[in-house]
Amino acid sequence: MLKQRTLFAVLAFLSITFIASCTHKVQIDNSVNVELKGNVKGLDPVGASDLYSSFAMSVVYESLYQYNYLKRPLQLEPLLADGMPSVSKDGLTYTIKIKQGVKFADDAAFPNGKGRELVAQDFVYSWRRLADPATQSEGFWVFDGRIKGLNEWREEAAKGQAKYDAPIEGLETPDNYTLIIKLKKPYYQLMYQLASTYTSVVAHEVVEKYGKEFLNHSVGTGPYILKEWIRNSRLSFERNPNWRGEKYPSEGSPGDKEAGLLEDAGKAIPFADKVVFYELPEDQPRWLKFMKGDTDFVEIPKDNYDGAVKDKKVIPELAAKGVGLRADPDPDLVYIGINMMDPVLGKNTALRQAMAMAYDSDTYIQKFYNGRAINAQSIIPPGVDGYDPEYKNPYKANNVEKAKELLKKAGFPDGKGLPAFEYNCSSSATDRQIGEFFQQKMAAIGIKITIQQNSWSQFIERQKSKKVQIFGVAWGADYPDAENFLQLLYGPNESPGSNASNYHNKEYDKLYDDASKLPPGPARTAIYKKMRDISATELPIIPDANRVRFQLFHGWIKNFKPHLTILNSYKYMRVDMDKKKELKGKM
Amino acid sequence: MLKYALRRLVYMIPILFGITLVTFLLFNVAGGNPAIVAAGRYATPEQIAMIKAQLGLDKPLFMQYLDFLRQIFTLDFGYSWFTKQKISTLFMDGVGPSLSITVPAFLISLAITIPLGLLLAFFRKSTLDRTILVIALAGISISSVVYVIAGQYVFSYKLGLFPISGWETGWDTRWEFAVLPIIILVVLTVGTDLLFYRTVFLEEIHQDYVRTARSKGLSNRTILWKHVLSNSLVPIITLVILEIPTLLTGTLLIESFFGIPGLGGLIYQSIENSDFPVIKAVTVMTAILYMVFQLLSDLLYAWVDPKIRLG
Repeated sequence: MLKQRTLFAVLAFLSITFIASCTHKVQIDNSVNVELKGNVKGLDPVGASDLYSSFAMSVVYESLYQYNYLKRPLQLEPLLADGMPSVSKDGLTYTIKIKQGVKFADDAAFPNGKGRELVAQDFVYSWRRLADPATQSEGFWVFDGRIKGLNEWREEAAKGQAKYDAPIEGLETPDNYTLIIKLKKPYYQLMYQLASTYTSVVAHEVVEKYGKEFLNHSVGTGPYILKEWIRNSRLSFERNPNWRGEKYPSEGSPGDKEAGLLEDAGKAIPFADKVVFYELPEDQPRWLKFMKGDTDFVEIPKDNYDGAVKDKKVIPELAAKGVGLRADPDPDLVYIGINMMDPVLGKNTALRQAMAMAYDSDTYIQKFYNGRAINAQSIIPPGVDGYDPEYKNPYKANNVEKAKELLKKAGFPDGKGLPAFEYNCSSSATDRQIGEFFQQKMAAIGIKITIQQNSWSQFIERQKSKKVQIFGVAWGADYPDAENFLQLLYGPNESPGSNASNYHNKEYDKLYDDASKLPPGPARTAIYKKMRDISATELPIIPDANRVRFQLFHGWIKNFKPHLTILNSYKYMRVDMDKKKELKGKM
Repeated sequence: MLKYALRRLVYMIPILFGITLVTFLLFNVAGGNPAIVAAGRYATPEQIAMIKAQLGLDKPLFMQYLDFLRQIFTLDFGYSWFTKQKISTLFMDGVGPSLSITVPAFLISLAITIPLGLLLAFFRKSTLDRTILVIALAGISISSVVYVIAGQYVFSYKLGLFPISGWETGWDTRWEFAVLPIIILVVLTVGTDLLFYRTVFLEEIHQDYVRTARSKGLSNRTILWKHVLSNSLVPIITLVILEIPTLLTGTLLIESFFGIPGLGGLIYQSIENSDFPVIKAVTVMTAILYMVFQLLSDLLYAWVDPKIRLG
């Protein structure tokens, strides 16, 4: 009897396995399949604080401007705006024409379920939501203190129910297709903000219909509409039949033509019928899904890099399967922050210089990024105004003897008399190893470091409460302007703001203020370089690395030119179906 | 028994009250200021104050505690601070996928380990017993991450028997994605459970009543299934019943690797992001479940063992 039952159990088990394996079918369709390294929180533009939600929102929602898909350095171009804005001579008034005939996607929130035409007032409504404390948006900074009357409206809203019909001096709509923005002072980064997900347009009918569930009912003017969302697993978007259409760019950067990126010049987009996002926080399934051909491109996980790339080229085995490689520098900065409020660290420039001199970014990059980063010399990363690839930071020479001399000059020969400093980082094993690497480099000159790991939120809270001494962090560009990095050391931005180093330097702050009054150009770039030099000498942060994203992509995916700041790239990607059928067979 | 059950239910009230108080104090007093984190990377003091007000954190602690109690009694835990999603929706979305993996794995594991434990206890020190014991011990000593990584790599990627990861909402379609995670979860739990049941049965198998039954000429099958198994039910019930609440909370590692949108991932995400409303809801719900199932196991003791009197 026992044997029979065991046999039955085994047979049942094998049957389930067999049935399951039979049902696993390979699908070949005209879809762009994207891997996300984290989970999508929601699809409300005011909640676009994380990259993964922003990627998903980018196919549904649109803002006034966007970055040209191919041009580098990045260039803005109209998206929902009908042309670039007309700006007054004093730089305080922006008049923007809105494209006519743009329609929201169909939804039950609209009369007869048909999406209505976009009007200028929709932008005012959407930006009020950004300012409304009830939405708890992290994105109000894009307009904070900039638009006349908006902060005052926000303060009133904080006292009770926000009045969405109350006028705001700095946001006018003389007609349905004209939007006038009046600024309190010149704000040359405004144009970048008008291309961000935070400032995307939503329809008030949809927000009002779904209320707090609006973040699960995305209805925008973009090329795709949400078809299915299995939370924490997958989001599927299909073509929006109401989309007005757009053409693939006809001009690009040097090398784009040779790379086949201009083959579709002038053709109607989007090319793909569907865009599917897979939420995959773990490296292995992300990698295996790509290798199986279930997804179209992948940022190579650290542990898989050596097996996929040799001498910065795809290994022949993968190349034979049509896999290509792109290496794109990210406008970001990995750095070691120093809390300048610390009585020892903050008051001793030579001590910080000694630490920077003892540090070894080259080894760090090899060890933790397989060499996929640039040794950062300053606070300004590649890809933004003011970056100079030739610039060498005098205190990043990785010279232990010189570091010891600087430490002696600081009054602590061989570290004698120095207390142990606490290095704060997040809770991951890699961050621990990075902390240990820093600890080891500092030990070489006699500086003792202890490591304090925190959950991500604790880590943020400790920084913003000024409770950290030394901390390992990274800053990714919100917009392609060096100002977005230089503001990390602007005094008024001290914690809980973005200046987690709590650095205060009158000269630096004045230069920052001066630069903010200037339009992009040589005069502003010259000021940026002065600020760079101050930060390189004072070292409230030790610049560590500018990451380069190495991504593999399958041979069937065309027009693949990623950039961390260009989120709405999926509409440009084309799936070569014949190639996909051919290459999928080799997976 | 009914009187006992009612009394135990009444006892639960102060325990639950204590749990809510400790949970509240841990997160609201010792847990720092979540508004700082929620304000984002360009936070300003004004914005933090506004968020504090929006989250109700500017109210006196006593009022905040009353709000928390109200949430528990109405089972409406409000909205996640991190995702801004309704917590009850997050739970309802996550519980199905979690149970789709944990319940079949739990049942399969039981179906394997109880008969096998009985068999090994009966054939104690035989080659079969020693071999399976060595395999079980070796299996337990390997990290669960290895099973997950190797299982996914070999069966999904190399052999292509299963999808690498993913999920479907329909019950008819989700099994394609569930089979391998279930198998791996069975492998992860079967060793420990087998050793436990074997020990339980071994304690019984050397009792005098077994010797008496043998001397009376009863068959081995009758001795094992009728006498040994029924006399071992108390520790078995303890393990089985108290494992049930853990089925609901899912398996973080497996869910994370196989893209299963279950509660394990939700709990991890809420802890990592100090999403206190979700953590508080999970803590209280889990505590209630444990108390209920503890009571259930006590009631079952009396049912399976007449010697146990509930008083």
